[in-house]
Amino acid sequence: MAVVAHGDRRDPGELSRRVVQRRRRSRVRKAGRPSIVWAVPATVYFTLFALLPLGVVVWLSFTSWSGVGAPASVGLRNWTHLFSDPVMRESIWLMLLLTALGVVTQTPVSLLLGVWAAGKGRSRSVLTALYFIPLLMSSAAVAIVWRALLDPNFGLPHQLPWLFGSGDLFGNPADAIGVLTFVGLWQWTPLYTLIYQGATRAIPVSLYEAASIDGAGPVRQFFTITLPQLRNTMITTMILMVIGGMTTFETILILTQGHPGNSTTTSAYYMYSQAFNSFDFGKASAIAVVLVVVATAIGIAITKWSGYDKMTSTQEGV
Amino acid sequence: MVGARKWPRFGAMAVAVLSALVVSACGSSGPAAAGSGGGRGSFEVADYGDANDVLEQTAVNMYNATPEGHKVKAVLQTFPGANYSQKLQTVIGTSEAPSVFFNWGAGSIQSYVKAGLIQPLNSDLQSNPKLKSRFLPVVMNAGKIGSNYYGIPMRGTQPVFLFYNKSVLAKYHLTPPTTWSQLLSEVQTLKAKGLIPIALGGGDQWPELMWIEYVYDRVAGSQLITQALAGDHNVWKSAASRKALADLSQLIKSGAFGKSYDSVKFTTGASTKLLVTGRSAFELMGSWEYSTAQGISPSFAKHDLGYATFPTIPGGAGNATDLVGNTQNYYSVLKRASQQKAIGDFLSEMYKPKFVKKLVSKGWLPTTTNATSYIKSSPSPGFLTWQFDRVKQAGHFQESWDQAWPPAQITPIHDAVGNYFDNQSASSFISAMSALPAG
Repeated sequence: MAVVAHGDRRDPGELSRRVVQRRRRSRVRKAGRPSIVWAVPATVYFTLFALLPLGVVVWLSFTSWSGVGAPASVGLRNWTHLFSDPVMRESIWLMLLLTALGVVTQTPVSLLLGVWAAGKGRSRSVLTALYFIPLLMSSAAVAIVWRALLDPNFGLPHQLPWLFGSGDLFGNPADAIGVLTFVGLWQWTPLYTLIYQGATRAIPVSLYEAASIDGAGPVRQFFTITLPQLRNTMITTMILMVIGGMTTFETILILTQGHPGNSTTTSAYYMYSQAFNSFDFGKASAIAVVLVVVATAIGIAITKWSGYDKMTSTQEGV
Repeated sequence: MVGARKWPRFGAMAVAVLSALVVSACGSSGPAAAGSGGGRGSFEVADYGDANDVLEQTAVNMYNATPEGHKVKAVLQTFPGANYSQKLQTVIGTSEAPSVFFNWGAGSIQSYVKAGLIQPLNSDLQSNPKLKSRFLPVVMNAGKIGSNYYGIPMRGTQPVFLFYNKSVLAKYHLTPPTTWSQLLSEVQTLKAKGLIPIALGGGDQWPELMWIEYVYDRVAGSQLITQALAGDHNVWKSAASRKALADLSQLIKSGAFGKSYDSVKFTTGASTKLLVTGRSAFELMGSWEYSTAQGISPSFAKHDLGYATFPTIPGGAGNATDLVGNTQNYYSVLKRASQQKAIGDFLSEMYKPKFVKKLVSKGWLPTTTNATSYIKSSPSPGFLTWQFDRVKQAGHFQESWDQAWPPAQITPIHDAVGNYFDNQSASSFISAMSALPAG
């Protein structure tokens, strides 16, 4: 003890300060750059359930396999068939069309509803809560309900012939695409409304107060304050809509099964149909690879063009 | 710090758990090991999951109560019916494949037979001759490929008939049509009264196939499909084939099915409801129409539901007694199932009186030789007796095309049929059907 006491000539207070500083630095370092071990579960999960299956799918796209026996290598056959397959080309266009229709219809409706729902008042809260009910239903349930509601002889078309004509909504391409767009709108608008409602409530009230003092009415306030403040939210919801549009599957499976003809066969449904109806897993895998490439390209394009990757704040200077 | 030190251990554990998952997943999809399905003292029976799978549970229970069943148990596994073919195809090449499985006869299992997965039952039929002699020969033969028997009939036979609403026909002084021209004329009468003359679930496509199957049989005779199944593509281009398509086109264009049949489905109950509510007079459907109608209105099924054979088409080569439909469902056995002896015992339950009685009580028409003696105890003895006579007298019983061809051809067949009902393009239909491989 004595040796230590004589040997250490530093001020005890100084020592403790340094220790605390070192600990702080170490904590900051740890908080800023966690150990690589933290990434292991996600990396393992992503490798096993995304990269590995993707690799297998790429390999399967060069084989012929019905699900029975071993896959037989066929070289580029699936790929040459795919590029000369009119159904595949149409399915990509249809996927893009349905996605675009989804964005164009869902964005204005959910934006207006979200801004409206962000306001105060009990009746508004009750109506908003009721309006979110579709969010609680699975896509399969939604599709089954609408198939029954749109039956030409026992559903809405029979009750409202002036609106639906012969009621053959699933018998011609334009109507069938219209039905898919409408059901998507009904099903997904509540989700985006919820997001817009939250984002609108986060806009500082002081902005509106200042605008009111300057004499701006509700419409002017909407276009000059609300809309610009919701820019980032809008980009986020649009990305969700694009992803949702491109992966729409169960609604098509239950409502139209890709009919009439192949007019509602999107690439995702075509992939399923080739794999599980025609048992041609090779061609289905080639379609899957095309889907991955198209979806990745669209994802990268959106983040680049929208400036989403920069995500600058809309409240600078507020 | 203590928490941080735990992370590598946690990471290692996570890797271990995930690796174990992957190893087990790979194991289940890898090459099959001998003795699949069930444990050492059991075997799995895969069944089509629907309201009728209670019948198979009865068969399994009956077998398990026997001395053989005490030694080796049968375990029932039901796959949801809507995706039965897909599930079976996915699982059949793996070690998870069931030892015994439900199917629709030769066409539906041909690719598995080619892959060497299915056990020929010839030796079982030799050691237990009743396994063959207790079933109607026409039905046993539909489970045969080459000289080998691959299926033992289970459930019942399901021919397609022209069902009608008795009250509607009586109201307009009509009788069930026996000829094509009578059908066309009644369609006009009913249409003039504001009805959709014939209910059709075009949204499902297979109800449309029933019309094509019957018209082809009546016009071209049963031989055409037999030849097409043998790989003769030219039959589709024949004059008889074109005549059949022209006749059907005439019926569609006359408005017999209304304007919205593409949006109507049988599977949602909508097409049968048209018949039950009297908004349609006819529906061409499998014998299960009776139980479907019963589900919507028991009194309608009992008093108002009529049934007739498909009309004849004058000048056609087909026999008026020919039937189309699901000839029968079968149990087939996996070659590498380890409990072959026990499975043979299980299959013999299919002709035992107790099981046949159970089938009849559910409204099914068994294809055992002793079926008639039990029909009286069914809830619909009149309909079953009439059906049994039609099957017995049938010159030819054509398996539905989508079951006669291998499962991979179901979509091309349904698409060809759906498109024909939409655009009546004979050339498109002929080229689509000519592209089918041999059945």
